[in-house]
Amino acid sequence: MQPTWGIPGPAFIALFLAATAGIAIAYAIHRTIAFRGDRSARVDALGAQQVAYLNGGDQLAIYAALGGLRAAGLIGAGPQHTLVQTGPLPAGVTPLDAAVHNAAGRQVRTRDVADDQWVRSALDQLREGLERRGLAVSKPALARLRLWSVAAGILVVIGVLRGIAGTMNDKPVGFLFPTVFVALAVLIGIRRTKRTATAAALRGMREMRSRHVHLSPRQSPAYATYGATGAAMGVALFGAASLYTMDPAFAAEAEIHRAVTAGGGGDMASYSCSSSSSDSGSSCGGSSSSCGGGSSCGGGGGCGG
Amino acid sequence: MAEVAEVAEVAEEYGVGIGWRPEISGFVAELPGLRFAEVVAESVHAHGDLPAGLPELIARGVTVIPHGVRLSLGGAEPVDPDRVRHLATVAERLKAPLVSEHIAFVRAGGIEAGHLLPLPRSREAVDAVVANVKRTQAELPVPIALEPIAALFDWPDDELSEADFLVEILDRTGAGLLLDIANVYANARNRGDDPLELLDKLPLDRVAYVHVAGGDEHDGLYHDTHTHATPQPVLDLVAELCRRHRPPALMLERDGDYPPAAELRTELDAIAAAAGYPVVT
Repeated sequence: MQPTWGIPGPAFIALFLAATAGIAIAYAIHRTIAFRGDRSARVDALGAQQVAYLNGGDQLAIYAALGGLRAAGLIGAGPQHTLVQTGPLPAGVTPLDAAVHNAAGRQVRTRDVADDQWVRSALDQLREGLERRGLAVSKPALARLRLWSVAAGILVVIGVLRGIAGTMNDKPVGFLFPTVFVALAVLIGIRRTKRTATAAALRGMREMRSRHVHLSPRQSPAYATYGATGAAMGVALFGAASLYTMDPAFAAEAEIHRAVTAGGGGDMASYSCSSSSSDSGSSCGGSSSSCGGGSSCGGGGGCGG
Repeated sequence: MAEVAEVAEVAEEYGVGIGWRPEISGFVAELPGLRFAEVVAESVHAHGDLPAGLPELIARGVTVIPHGVRLSLGGAEPVDPDRVRHLATVAERLKAPLVSEHIAFVRAGGIEAGHLLPLPRSREAVDAVVANVKRTQAELPVPIALEPIAALFDWPDDELSEADFLVEILDRTGAGLLLDIANVYANARNRGDDPLELLDKLPLDRVAYVHVAGGDEHDGLYHDTHTHATPQPVLDLVAELCRRHRPPALMLERDGDYPPAAELRTELDAIAAAAGYPVVT
């Protein structure tokens, strides 16, 4: 009996694995180059929303704006997870602050803030600034990087077809399944990458996180003392959990996704909840939702919560 | 060895300090003139990492005093050797020249009160405190300063006045005094006494450092809350104290409901002005 497609099973599996490894290695090299960015780029001078974008994309940038606006007493939560204005915007705020505050004036739901036109353009402006500084990888460059998933996808399809053909030929396909699964994992890994921060940006943010460790939710920071800037930077560096430490009622009513956290750290899911603070309910229970792979899970908010 | 152990005294002048708390560690780190802070001893591990921000403060030359709250020096039973050892270890880790604890009890008969409870001012109580302080001193690498606590009530069978009770304990142990000026104010006000009268009876030359804190009046009683701004009468008392004998260090003790940084700085400056020490902000 002829082997399926004229290639014996073990030879096919070896070839298949070699192709998968080739794609993974090529992707890794391409990725390293793409994320190299400007080695001399500095993050020190960045504002909280820029740091938040590098750390957790659009969603965390919006949350950082919410944190700052909330700490300044300018927004609150309305019915059905909407935002409301509670004070007039002062001068000297960022375009994203203005856009989010404006959206709150129209009682937009928190999850829809990112779709607001003004917010969208403020985010684009923010992103482009970071790309120019060599701190964020551009969208076209990320799209090119993601093209490797097409190659991995083709491989998966070939594997599946081989499985079907083999089954119809009454050939054993037991070893094929895990092999195809490896290719599928590579495919998912490539598609799920949400990172935009370059290596220099990640390094800078690690350093910033240790310099601003007092803003970590672990310290139950006194946000009133650190002010709106400190509150926004806390969200930027330590994720949406900071909003829950700062103002649990607002965060819950505004339906803030707690799991939107730092992309670089990956150690944000395990905050212990000290009961050292005696003020109005510094709740942080149930924040153990991790979303694997060190990648943030903004957007649809599929994990935890 | 002499009956009276070495007197706990902070030799140099440290000026105005602040109670270091994790919640405001970023604020404390940015006080340019700070030379003195206090940390709750039980919040520092005997091994493992120091609380984030403390090593930087110590490296900067800020003196950090461990302040115990759970030793129960006023308990009828001997102090727990493990807790004493912990305090000693923390003092060494922080390179502190001094530790402090309260003249109070927090547990009795194995039951934890969860609060600092006042002692009856009896000779028996003095004996118990002195015995426990001496047990503690034997294990400590540095001197200890004792802090009397605020009491909203007096025990019915008090034999000694507040001042006599304190002086007796300090004389027999050689310990320093950690004077809580807000307590002096609160006690005097709630009993209708003159706080200056108590001040004049205290051995002010034995004061190692001073706690300054805010409080709030509630149903006619003044509560030493540590969550409100320091009221003017307490600042006036600081000035009176420093006029009589200026302690080497005074610190703001704030334990919650932290205000904006500018308000905390104003409060620290007000304490500095009342004491005649340079501002640290």
